[in-house]
Amino acid sequence: MTLNRRQLLQVGALGGSLSLSQFLRSSAAAGHADSGRSAILVFLGGGPSHQDTFDMKPDAPVEYRGQFKPISTRVPGIQICEHLPRLAQRTDKLAIIRGITHSLADHGLGTRYLMTGNLPTPVVSYPMYGSVVSREFPAAADLPSFVSIDRPVEGPGYLGTQYGPMSTGEKPRYGQPFRVRGITLDGSLTVDDFRSRHQLRADIDTAFDGFENLDDAVRGLDRFAQQAYRIISSPRSRDAFDLTREPEQQIDRFGRHEYGQSTMLAARLIEAGVRFVTVLLEGWDTHMDNFNTLGRELLPQLDQSLSAMLDRLESRGLLESTSILVTGEFGRTPKVNSNAGRDHWSRAMCALMAGASVSAGQVVGATDDKAAGPAGEGFTPDDLAATFFQNIGIDPKTEYQASVGRPITLVRDGSPIPGVLS
Amino acid sequence: MIRTVLAGMLGVVTCVLLSPPPALRAETVASVSERFAAAETDETPDFQQHVVPLLGRLGCNGRSCHGSFQGRGGLQLSLFGYDFLMDHRSLTAQASTGGERQSDRRVDPQRPDESLVLQKPLLQVDHEGGDRFAEGSWEHHLIRRWIEDGAQPITQPRVLSHLEVEPAEVVFDSDAASSPSRPVPLRVVAVWEQGLREDVTPLCRFRTNDDSVVTVDHDGRLTSTGPGDTHVVVFYDNGVAAVPVLRPLNDAPNRARNVNDAQTQSPSVDRFVLAKLDKLGIQPSDVCTDAEFLRRVSIDVCGTLPTPQEVESFLADRSADKRTRKLDELLERPSYAAWWANKLCDFTGCNPNQQAELGQETSVQWYMWVYQRLRENVPYDELVRRIVLAKGRESGQSYQEYARQVSAYFRDDSPADFAERETMPHYWTRRSMEKPEDAAQAFAQNFLGLRLQCAQCHKHPFAPWTQGDFNEFSRFFENVEFGVEPTSLPQYRELAEQAGLTVRGDDGTAIRSDILRQAQQGRIVPWRELYIDARPQPESLSLLRSGSVTLQGNDDPREPIMSWMTDPANPWFAQAIVNRVWASYFHVGIIDPPDDLNPANPPSHPELLNWLTRQFAGQNYDLKWLHRQIATSDTYQRSWKPNATNRDDRRNFSRAIPRRLPAEVVYDSIKQSLVASDKLTDVRTDLTRRAIGHLSMRLAGTHAMQVFGKPDRAVNCDCERVNEPTLLQAVYLQNDPLVDQQLESSGWLQEIQAREDAGVALDPTRLIETAWLRTVSRPPTEKEIARAERHLAASDSTTKAMRDLLWSLINTKEFILTK
Repeated sequence: MTLNRRQLLQVGALGGSLSLSQFLRSSAAAGHADSGRSAILVFLGGGPSHQDTFDMKPDAPVEYRGQFKPISTRVPGIQICEHLPRLAQRTDKLAIIRGITHSLADHGLGTRYLMTGNLPTPVVSYPMYGSVVSREFPAAADLPSFVSIDRPVEGPGYLGTQYGPMSTGEKPRYGQPFRVRGITLDGSLTVDDFRSRHQLRADIDTAFDGFENLDDAVRGLDRFAQQAYRIISSPRSRDAFDLTREPEQQIDRFGRHEYGQSTMLAARLIEAGVRFVTVLLEGWDTHMDNFNTLGRELLPQLDQSLSAMLDRLESRGLLESTSILVTGEFGRTPKVNSNAGRDHWSRAMCALMAGASVSAGQVVGATDDKAAGPAGEGFTPDDLAATFFQNIGIDPKTEYQASVGRPITLVRDGSPIPGVLS
Repeated sequence: MIRTVLAGMLGVVTCVLLSPPPALRAETVASVSERFAAAETDETPDFQQHVVPLLGRLGCNGRSCHGSFQGRGGLQLSLFGYDFLMDHRSLTAQASTGGERQSDRRVDPQRPDESLVLQKPLLQVDHEGGDRFAEGSWEHHLIRRWIEDGAQPITQPRVLSHLEVEPAEVVFDSDAASSPSRPVPLRVVAVWEQGLREDVTPLCRFRTNDDSVVTVDHDGRLTSTGPGDTHVVVFYDNGVAAVPVLRPLNDAPNRARNVNDAQTQSPSVDRFVLAKLDKLGIQPSDVCTDAEFLRRVSIDVCGTLPTPQEVESFLADRSADKRTRKLDELLERPSYAAWWANKLCDFTGCNPNQQAELGQETSVQWYMWVYQRLRENVPYDELVRRIVLAKGRESGQSYQEYARQVSAYFRDDSPADFAERETMPHYWTRRSMEKPEDAAQAFAQNFLGLRLQCAQCHKHPFAPWTQGDFNEFSRFFENVEFGVEPTSLPQYRELAEQAGLTVRGDDGTAIRSDILRQAQQGRIVPWRELYIDARPQPESLSLLRSGSVTLQGNDDPREPIMSWMTDPANPWFAQAIVNRVWASYFHVGIIDPPDDLNPANPPSHPELLNWLTRQFAGQNYDLKWLHRQIATSDTYQRSWKPNATNRDDRRNFSRAIPRRLPAEVVYDSIKQSLVASDKLTDVRTDLTRRAIGHLSMRLAGTHAMQVFGKPDRAVNCDCERVNEPTLLQAVYLQNDPLVDQQLESSGWLQEIQAREDAGVALDPTRLIETAWLRTVSRPPTEKEIARAERHLAASDSTTKAMRDLLWSLINTKEFILTK
């Protein structure tokens, strides 16, 4: 180790007011012991209607309760929407959290809040869950540790760009070749071509020969170039992203729609050893025609794909080590509007958790009789985040020496929701 | 053997600006450890001078103990002290478990020994924090005496003038490691404004900035641990002092010293840097090659790679002053203004997402305005003045004229040029500047390189700022408003009605895209404006403890701030930009992080920084003068290759440290490397299509920019720009569809393909040479040519083989780094 490295590490330990490259910071701070857990975040972008899904109010006036009816589920006493029959048969695998509440009924701000567990502020940019996981847990040599299917939903914030997700750049679509940004080799380029290029590069990349360990930038470039090469050329990561390897029966089980393909990919990635996957299921911003959109499309697709993902992980023995969170950025207005839609509503929303230490088969929390706000104090997105982190094996009170010059607590204002985890 | 250097008799390290040592030195009071060594003393310790500092030193008010915002064990103290009222209240309150039992009292003047603040740290009762001092120690006596005498609070905080530390500098001889060295004790004297002098050594907190050079114990004794240089920082009350500590290289003792003979030269960057290297026994690396210099300086000054022709003619040039002439030429290029406008936009937080309306448009205007000023080489103080003092209306304008003027910027048909405006108001119209506290933090970081955020909630742990300092500073910004100036409300409403804008309340409404369309069609639409609101009552506010200002009525609070910043006595304004510019040419600032000017984070080269700063101000804040001073120096032009003495040096500029290209430069450089031969000039000079140029704002937040760490400019920290390598960058360069597509559609490869298709003979060596010149800006070595020729020969298509070669070159470390 060079003098400067020691120097930086020591300075870092002293409060971070002095120079410390983020690269070094990452290797310096004492990380969590690897819990061995992985996580999937299913983000229902747009803000799903809580009262039309997992928090129904059959006794409210019709302009509040809407058109759907609740059905009983595998767990006596728990009812969910009639368009979610398969999930109803699996409520013993789920914890339904009702009465989550906040005040940011804007897609951007609400998403940032729900994806970080910290109230957005202009002064600090908080990291998304997956970035924290990739910061805390080591990655396999030939796999990215954090994958975002399609585009990133929020970024690494103060943790630094090296903890950003590998985003696939598009959603997998059945019957169409799936191109993973940066990983899939372009049609005309074979793995052999890629290897040959690499050999050529290695032969001419000699400017720093003999000084590979002198400077961090040089050392880092070598390390990451090797890792990228392994990820791009190794069968393991290529297989993980290759949905054509799934048998027809599995494809039918998940569904050929986007939701099905994305959740199937998430399961494959977790099986391969990716530590955090974000699945983005969009279309929930139902200002108009809420009931047709949900009843005919979104809910059946969600029902099929989410239940398939739970089954798949369970059958591979991975449910007990995979922490799953399903949430949107807010709920929707208690009263149906004149366009048979519901508008943004952040005073009440709901979320699902499953896997790992989740104490499944229960409903935690409640909303009032019109699903307009929590009954009692409710829970905050901060609490939800703390619960999710806890279930991944990361202490939500972890402190980071953020580059903004002061220590920042991972989830400052929340604590795990009592009863959700066993 | 240890030499201690005494500057005069005592080293004076000032903790706040402008605190000269007293002309007449009063008697220095002995330290509390002597005065309270015995239990029997008549002296009453002072809460501010003795009790709180002692609690700080014992760790009681730290973040993980009672300084936590939740307190600990029911007792909460102000974090890092200095909220004397609260601390006194907390200490003298009953413990929260408090029944009537006497022993529940934290302090009990009737029965001092029953006080919890003694029983806990003595571990006579359970204390999670363990024992903090021993029975019969001076600490015990001091706190006991304070309690016994009634546990008095303070009425008015005493003002600390400065700390004097002796010795002022510590130099360990280079053989310190070979012989067990005696620790060097520090002695700290607090000098109060009332003239009182007291030895406060046992009440200070000490910190080393690098414990691989020196460690410091609880009592302020320094032990050398290795060669190099750093500072030991002393904290007491709100005073901070830093003592330089230096130990020359072990294996390069006296022999290397003074070889650089720096002292005899006139002041220059090199003289100061060499003087320090002399002291450390470090030999600087040689000067870099011409090719290395050209690539380095082109990137640092213009954010642009040189062209193959430029490289070749520069290498062929035999004149001695070619480097200086090249620099002069670069500074005149528009790309210089473009790249540095980008940097100034980083420093000042030009962010489309923070604008109250039309974020993309306003941030482009902001960028273009700064670009234009740099083209004109407007002095830096003037440039800042025209941002800081900006208002919506330029002098004498009516609201109507204002609305007409702003609408005209958006007109499709011959729009007015925003960059021609005298002032640039968008700095203040961001939502992130609405709250005075946020504005204060941003302003201090942007223009003064000060990080005040800690002091918003508690005494700054490393800097002298207290919450009071922060609060007063933030109050300056209270009446800088963005909205509708009350007397213009009727005209605003009238225009709003015509435009079909619904006005909610009196603050105006953000311009929506449909209203923007009206402006684009040439109509006048109502704009909110930046104005100064009336202050309800006159008040006198302190400017970070360097003078107070009385503000009343519609006084523009920014005017006194601006005068204060450009006052020669202001220690931060000029220094902050000088240090930031320096940090852009090197891997670190002279103060690093460059935006953390703070006595606990002292410069590595104080004389150099002072000299550059003074001269810069004396040169009428001429940025190009500053660029020349830095870039023409040998210090900037060092090779990255180390010698036997400077391998481990990263803080003294004895060699170049390889730096990753900034995000925008990566983007532009890949493009330039692949472009058609006849576009090599255009691709660089057409700034409208460059990431360092006009595309800067539009590209912000795109995949490539995020991956390579272009800052969102969302937080007040220069650290937001990240130049570290990451996995995703490697994935991007190796296989991103964008890079792939750029390689596929490369104009140069298409030329080669066309010639290949037409059966024109290609000169493989020349192609290979050009590939090297285009990417790493130097001719290839013979070995490299041979290797590339082998690849070309093995391929059935020269185009394909050249594509592989370009891919490989873009993926070398040499491409992505400046070395």
